[in-house]
Amino acid sequence: MKLLVLVLNDERHMEGVLEAYIEAGVPGATILDSEGMGRFLAYKVPLFADFKEFMKGNKPKNKTILAVVRDDGVLDRLRPLIDAVIGGLSVPGNGIMFTVPVDWFAGPERAVEEA
Amino acid sequence: MPTLSAYFGPDRCAVDVSAPTKADAVAALVDLLAAAGKAPDRDALVRAVMEREALAPTGLGSDCAIPHAQTDAVTETSLAAIRLAEPLDFSAPDGTPARLVFLIAGPKDSAALHLRLLSRLARTLCDPAFRAAAIAAPDASSFAAAFLATDPPENVTA
Repeated sequence: MKLLVLVLNDERHMEGVLEAYIEAGVPGATILDSEGMGRFLAYKVPLFADFKEFMKGNKPKNKTILAVVRDDGVLDRLRPLIDAVIGGLSVPGNGIMFTVPVDWFAGPERAVEEA
Repeated sequence: MPTLSAYFGPDRCAVDVSAPTKADAVAALVDLLAAAGKAPDRDALVRAVMEREALAPTGLGSDCAIPHAQTDAVTETSLAAIRLAEPLDFSAPDGTPARLVFLIAGPKDSAALHLRLLSRLARTLCDPAFRAAAIAAPDASSFAAAFLATDPPENVTA
């Protein structure tokens, strides 16, 4: 079992991303409002105020999507779908996706995918 | 982690500097860089630092401020440090004036290094032990030594 984390920089892709999750077999996820470190520093810490130009292109907010997946096949199906929706995870500024092991879980079974 | 010694030397340090205004303090810092050959266009660097000051304050509180600028007036990143004779307002969040003032000047195309140095310096200035040593330093060389002592040992890589 793994925790899948996707930090999506462009919120306009949310609908497509969630459709990709469902299509790949992720029945549920938790969506968090989040913000990038560079953006926060440049706009909320006066000492770094002159780096706004350096951070241009960064979105004011991003979304972090958490989902528990049991089957690696879900990840294999999801990756190309996400790439298609957001224009490639390898492109700077689009987002990052990673998993971390989950060694304990409590909750309804529908919280994990039906692969 | 950038080491301060790569960008700073005892020749770019002074204590008990008289600076009634922020512009005077910035000028004193730039003059140290100019004397060390690090500010080929002294007036342009002063202007760039003051323009940056107008954007948002660089006072950190706890007696410290870090005015800085990225500008074509310099060709390499360098630091200067002064201890003021009298505290000076740098609009710190806690409202306290600054006595320890550090300048970072870097070229426009070195934003990543500038950011790292700014963060490194801000972290260093949060250390009460360093601030106490800097305030108590009897002369410029002691002040510089206290500053450089915050670098990690040479055989430690970060």
